[in-house]
Amino acid sequence: MTEVRRDGDFKISNSDFEKLHDRRVNSRLLRAAVTWLVALGGTAAVTAAGRAMNLNHVTVGFGFLIVVLAAALRGGLPAGTVASIVATLSYNFFFFQPLYTFTIHDPSNWVALAAFLVTSVTVSRLVIAARIEARRAKLRHQELETLYGLSVELFTATNRAGALGDAAGRALVLLGAREGGLVLFDGAPERQDAVWWRGDKPDEIGERIADVARRGEPLELASTAGGPRDVYLPLFAGGETIGALVARGSEASMPALVSVSRLVGLAVERERFIEENAHVEALRESETLKTSLLRAISHDLTTPLTAITIHTESLRRKAERDEELKAPVTGIAGETGRLRRRIDNLLSMARLEAGKAKPRREPTPPADLFRAVRENLPLVRVSVHVDDDCPDANVDPSLALEILVNLIENAHRASPPGVPVELLARVHPSDPAQVRIEVLDRGPGMPRDVAQGGLGLEIARGLAAANGGSIDFAPRPDGGTIARLDVPAAPLPVGELA
Amino acid sequence: MSGAPLILVVDDDPAIRDSMERELRANGYSTVSATEGGEGVRAFETHAPELILTDLSMPRSDGFELIAAIRATARTPIIVLSVRGNDADKVRALDLGADDFVTKPFSVAELMARIRAQLRRTAPAATLLAFDELSIDLERRRVKQGGREIRLTPTEFALLALLAANAGKPMFTDTIISRVWRDAPGTTADTVRVHMSALRKKIEPDPSSPRYIVTEPWVGYRFIAEPV
Repeated sequence: MTEVRRDGDFKISNSDFEKLHDRRVNSRLLRAAVTWLVALGGTAAVTAAGRAMNLNHVTVGFGFLIVVLAAALRGGLPAGTVASIVATLSYNFFFFQPLYTFTIHDPSNWVALAAFLVTSVTVSRLVIAARIEARRAKLRHQELETLYGLSVELFTATNRAGALGDAAGRALVLLGAREGGLVLFDGAPERQDAVWWRGDKPDEIGERIADVARRGEPLELASTAGGPRDVYLPLFAGGETIGALVARGSEASMPALVSVSRLVGLAVERERFIEENAHVEALRESETLKTSLLRAISHDLTTPLTAITIHTESLRRKAERDEELKAPVTGIAGETGRLRRRIDNLLSMARLEAGKAKPRREPTPPADLFRAVRENLPLVRVSVHVDDDCPDANVDPSLALEILVNLIENAHRASPPGVPVELLARVHPSDPAQVRIEVLDRGPGMPRDVAQGGLGLEIARGLAAANGGSIDFAPRPDGGTIARLDVPAAPLPVGELA
Repeated sequence: MSGAPLILVVDDDPAIRDSMERELRANGYSTVSATEGGEGVRAFETHAPELILTDLSMPRSDGFELIAAIRATARTPIIVLSVRGNDADKVRALDLGADDFVTKPFSVAELMARIRAQLRRTAPAATLLAFDELSIDLERRRVKQGGREIRLTPTEFALLALLAANAGKPMFTDTIISRVWRDAPGTTADTVRVHMSALRKKIEPDPSSPRYIVTEPWVGYRFIAEPV
């Protein structure tokens, strides 16, 4: 016998198993000896007592019946029947005239003896039937206890494959399986992993397991491992066959074995669920970490930047009258603003990646967006125009602002000094459900304009997509580039003005 | 108001606190400062400032607690210094009773304009509101823009009067619905949007560059007291 096993604290070694087997064999021999002693010794004792005390026939008959009953109880139908016959013969030989012969003169004694034989055999049968019932009940009880123990084990402990195999193996042994075990599939029924196994596992068993898994139904076969039969049960989890449970030489009932396979399947499914849940939990924690990191970064970068901005403005005020200082201070202010916008870009990108930039769209007048752009880019000259019939844009205002700031910075870099960047907003020429916002420059034109965009442009595209919009570029007549942002419109509801 | 108005600055970062105090003093205000909410509440009780500037995220007691504590007893204007991207915090601060917010990093000019607007709003209620070219006579229900009288519908006038009386303060759309429409059934943000659009076309000298009324993302509308 071989035993395949992983880890875990439960161990039934082969020597244990053999001892168990030897003990069973020994107890069976002892039992048979006692039964025959009861049957023969009891008959002899009743005969001796009947003769010595000169008891009447009825009393002796009842004495024999008790012996037959005891024999049947201990040894089953064979012992009961043998005891009945021996008792009938003794009864005839020692108590019916003529004594010490197997002949009977009085026909009424024939009737009595026949009645005794029939009664004793019937009583034996009844007793045996009751005994079988009791034994079955005891088996079912054992099976139930085993299943209960298994379910408690499976659903209170962590179910690593090893621990799972041990629990299933223990249940199989308790259900009287002589060989067999738990096999899990690694992707396909052909790739079998014996998580727990007792006894030989020739290739034909592997084939039978694969066959059962493919058919998805239990298989019962005459046992080659001793005992009544071999049972192969497919294991299901999450609607697929994940392995098989094999009980060889077990007399356990089919429902009990099916229950074991279901419990093991559920445990595997539960284990998978726990693993998936742990994964989701880990993802959630990483999201929380990202969010708090974002918060910390945005706070830690914004705070010194705010202080720098305030100091620079203080310097600017003092530099009003100092031409030499004016240019560098204006430069610092401009660069600080640029640094701020780069940080904004970085944070937006991180938010987009962390799934934090879920746009919160609301109707936003393009004129308000343009106004916010001017506040954000105080050093950039812009001219704005919004068509009278231009609908509001249905966008996330802060994301839309960031898109425009990026496009305008790009246009401003490309523009010759002193030439303003133009901003236009109107209804989309071919799709009235969209607003088109254009940023026009007099730069060198495409593609150099676009190539300069770099990271800012990439972020603008990402944010536009998140807003349900798009960005594209076109050459501007008489030189320069037009950057076009198309976003969904939020037209004013008709009939509201009452 | 006599003398220099006193402003309480609450921020845990010394660089911001010091630079802001210096700029405020350079602009003619007196200042007192605190490093967190609890200290801010005590400074408020001791010094009775005319206006409070507070950061939101601070160790121990934060800006939200400060706003709640002060609003329990006083209507002193509170301007919140919020961080970009934390719009939920901004809305929550306004909900708790803050009057305005500026987003870090802000420009000093913008902050000063916001402070002036808040201090002006706390002055005794006038019946004539004047902003640049726009004047609103609340008693006679007359509006003039650049010396020319503008005809407004009763709803438009009510909207303008409400926003102008709260100039510099972001107004929640829900507040506007409850004050102008008295929560009439069926009144939605879109109703406000339609009337606001009509009003803006009438009072704005250049609708492409709004001077008086702007939308305030995720809040509602704001009347700009003075352009920066």
